[in-house]
Amino acid sequence: MTKQGATRRTFLVRAAAGAGAVAGAGLVPDADAQDASKPGAPNAQAPTQPRPTGSQHGAFFNHDDAATIAAFTERLMPSAPGKPGAREAGVLNYLDLALAGAYADLQDFYRRGLAQLDAYCRATYHEPFARLDAARQDEVIASLENGRATGFTWPDAQELFNTLRTHTMEGMFADPIYGGNRDFAGWRLVGFPGAQAVFTSADMQRRQAFTRVPMVGLQVQAKGPS
Amino acid sequence: MAAERTDVVIVGMGAAGGILAAELGKAGMKVIGLERGPRLVTADFTPHDELRYFQRQDLRPNVRRQPVTWRPNAYVRATALPVLNYGNQAGGGTVHYGAVSWRFHEDDFRARFQTIERYGERAIPEDSSLADWPLTYADLEPFYDRAEYELGVSGKAGNLRGRTIDGGNVFEAPRAREYPLPPLVADQSGLLFDAGARKLGYHPFSTPRAILSRPYQGRPACTYCGFCQAFGCHIGAKSSILVTKLPEADATGNFKLITGAMCYRVDSDNSGRVTGVSYYGADGSDNTIEAELVVLAPFIYDNTRLLLLSRTAKFPNSLANSSGQVGKHLMAHISPRVFATFDDRFVNIYMGPSAQKHSLDDFNADNFEHGGLPFIRGAQISVTPADLEAGPIGAAMSLTPPPGIPRWGAAYRDFLAKYFARHAALVAQTENLPYADQTIDLDPDVRDQWGLPAPRLTYDWRRPNELARVEFMQQKLEEVGRAMGATNVWRAPLGPGAPGAHHEGGTRMGSDPGTSVVNRYGQSWDIPNLFIVGSSTFPTMSGFNPTLTIQALAYMSADAIVNRYRKNQGPLV
Repeated sequence: MTKQGATRRTFLVRAAAGAGAVAGAGLVPDADAQDASKPGAPNAQAPTQPRPTGSQHGAFFNHDDAATIAAFTERLMPSAPGKPGAREAGVLNYLDLALAGAYADLQDFYRRGLAQLDAYCRATYHEPFARLDAARQDEVIASLENGRATGFTWPDAQELFNTLRTHTMEGMFADPIYGGNRDFAGWRLVGFPGAQAVFTSADMQRRQAFTRVPMVGLQVQAKGPS
Repeated sequence: MAAERTDVVIVGMGAAGGILAAELGKAGMKVIGLERGPRLVTADFTPHDELRYFQRQDLRPNVRRQPVTWRPNAYVRATALPVLNYGNQAGGGTVHYGAVSWRFHEDDFRARFQTIERYGERAIPEDSSLADWPLTYADLEPFYDRAEYELGVSGKAGNLRGRTIDGGNVFEAPRAREYPLPPLVADQSGLLFDAGARKLGYHPFSTPRAILSRPYQGRPACTYCGFCQAFGCHIGAKSSILVTKLPEADATGNFKLITGAMCYRVDSDNSGRVTGVSYYGADGSDNTIEAELVVLAPFIYDNTRLLLLSRTAKFPNSLANSSGQVGKHLMAHISPRVFATFDDRFVNIYMGPSAQKHSLDDFNADNFEHGGLPFIRGAQISVTPADLEAGPIGAAMSLTPPPGIPRWGAAYRDFLAKYFARHAALVAQTENLPYADQTIDLDPDVRDQWGLPAPRLTYDWRRPNELARVEFMQQKLEEVGRAMGATNVWRAPLGPGAPGAHHEGGTRMGSDPGTSVVNRYGQSWDIPNLFIVGSSTFPTMSGFNPTLTIQALAYMSADAIVNRYRKNQGPLV
C-alpha cells in the first residue's frame, strides 16, 4: 500500500519505547529554509524499519476500506518529492486507530459512507475508488464536496467529504503519538516546530523561518523536565 | 442522601464562582462549591496536544453527553451545536481561554442613552431590546482594579485618571492606576499590525491579557510557548481561576468543592425564598444542600435552564421570573475574519499567547462617528492566528485558502506548506445588539447525560444592523491587512447564523423589577437570597471579551453580600 515509513507494528514499538519523538532534522517549510534534509525521508535519529507487510491498518478497516481511505486521503493531501502527504504521514494508520478508539462512535458513519462511495464509483465509473486514476478520483472527491454525487443518504456526500478532510488534517498534523504525522512529516511540511517550551523575543520577532531543533512531540514531553 | 447544610452554595466554579468562593470564604461564610467537571492541576497541562485540546475540545463540555441545541428561528427544529466554547472543569473557561481581559468603556454601560443622545431614538432598530446597565463604569472601576491586581493582568494604561497615554488603549475608560504587569512581548504579527494601524492613523496597542509578563504572586512569567487558547497553561502563567482564586478559597478553611456535581434544581419554599440546591453526584447519587444563600454562576445557558427546571407551584413561570425576562436577550460575538499572507517574510504566528495578540479600539463601541452609517455600536479589532489557536490543525480547519485555491489537493497542500508560517488573521469582535426573540429555553426533544432537557438557543445574528456592522468591519480588516504589508488579503467566509463566542444574556440585570431578572448585584428581584453572577446578567455585550467584567461583577456582588446583605438579608438597592 505504501512504499515508505514505519509499519504499524514498528510504530507501536517505537511509541512504547518513547523513541522517535525528536526529529533530528530541522524544519523545511519551503525553499527559503536553509536545512537541506529531505522531508519525509527516514530520519537519522528516528530510523524507520523496513515494513514487512506494508500494512497501516488492522484495528478497524478491512482491506478494501483501507485501500479506499489510503487512496482518498492521498488525493486530499498528495505526496510529492520534498512534500510529504497523507501516505507518508500515515493518515490511514491514524484513522484506523482513531476509529477503533476515540472515534468509535463514527464507525458506522465510515462503514456506510465508504459503502455509498463504492456504490457511486461503481455506478459512475464501473470501478471502486481505489482503482480509479487520480483524475477520476479527484472528480469523485469534487462531486462529494459540492454535494452533486448521487445515491448518498446518510452520511450525505458533503458530510462524508468534510469528515474525511478533517480527519486527514488530523492525521497529517496531530502529534505522532496518535499514529499519523509520522516522523513529523506534517509538521515538516508546514514548518511547525511542535511543542517548544520557550520562544524568546528574538524568536518571535525574527522574519525568517524558525529552524531550531529538535521538534518536540508528546513522547519527549512525557519524560518531564530534564 | 441526607441534606448537607451550609451558609452559601455556589453553582459553577468558573470566572465568577471562584471569586465568590474565595471572597465569601474569607469573610467567614461557609461555602460549598458545585462543579460538574473535575478539578485539574497545572501538571495536567504538560501535554501540548493540539488534537486533544483544540480539535477534540478536552477542556470543554462533550457535545454528545452535554448537548446544547440551536435553531435559527422558532419554526424549525433545533440541532446540537458541534462545538461548545465554555469550560467544563473547576476554573471554568478561564482554564482554556485566551485570557484577553478588557474593561468595558463608559458608554458600554449606557449604549441606549448614548445612542439616543447622539443619533436619536430612530437609530436603534425597532426590534432591539437595547438597554442601559443599572450601574456605571465608575461604580465598577474599583472592582476592575481588584480583578486586575488580584488575578494578574498584563497591559499598558491608555487613560490614567483622564490622562491619555500613547501606546495604551487611548479609548479606554479612565483607570485609577497602571496595570499590575507590563504588556506581553509583541510578536511579529503584533509589530506588523502596530505599524500598519499607525500608518492608517489608528491607535494600536498590546492586548491586555491575564497572562503574566513577569513573575507575580509566586507564579512564573509566560514563556510564549503558544499553547494558550484552548489549552491549560503548563506553568500556571495564565491567571486562571484554577491557580488564583481557588487556592485562596482553599486557604480560608471555609470552602468545600464538590466536583462531578451536576446541579439540576434550585429548591425553594412557599415563603418565596430559596432553600438550597439539588444535584446529581459523580456516582449518580441524588443529593441536596440546604443553604442560606444560593449563588448561580455556571455558563449562561445553565442559569436559564436551572431557573426553568426549578418551577414550583409558587413560581410556575420559572424561578425568579415575575418579569417574564428569563431566557431572553441572548447575545454572542460574531467574529468576521480577514486573512493576510506575506511573501517577503515569515510571521511564525504560532509563537506567544495566541488570542487577539494586538488590538485597536478605534471602531469599537461609540468610539467613532456613526452618523450616516446603517448601524450602531462597533467591534474590537485584533490580529490573531487563523483560529484563536495557532497550531497546524487549527490552520487546516480555519485558514480558508484564497479564491481560486481549493481546500484539498496539491494546490492546497502547497498553499498550507507555504503560508502556515507566513499568515496572520484579522478579526473584528462585534457588539451585537440584544433582541428579545433571541432566547434560551428547554429543548423538548434532546436530553443530556443526566436526563435533563438540553438548553436550546433560538438565535440568528443576520439582522440588518448586524450585517451592516460586519460588512463595515470586514472593510476595515482588509484595510489594516494591506497596511501591514501583506501580499494577499482575503475574507474568511461568514459562518451560519449560530451564535459565536462569549454568550451573554438570559437573566439580564436592570433597575426595574418589571423588565429585568436581577439587580446590579445579581440579586434576584423576586428572591432576595438568590444571586446570579456572570455574563447572563449583561444587558448589552460590548465588543470586548466578557471575562474581566464578569470577574469585576463577581467582586462587586461579593462585596455587597459580605458588607450589606449579611447585615440585612433583604433586597439590596
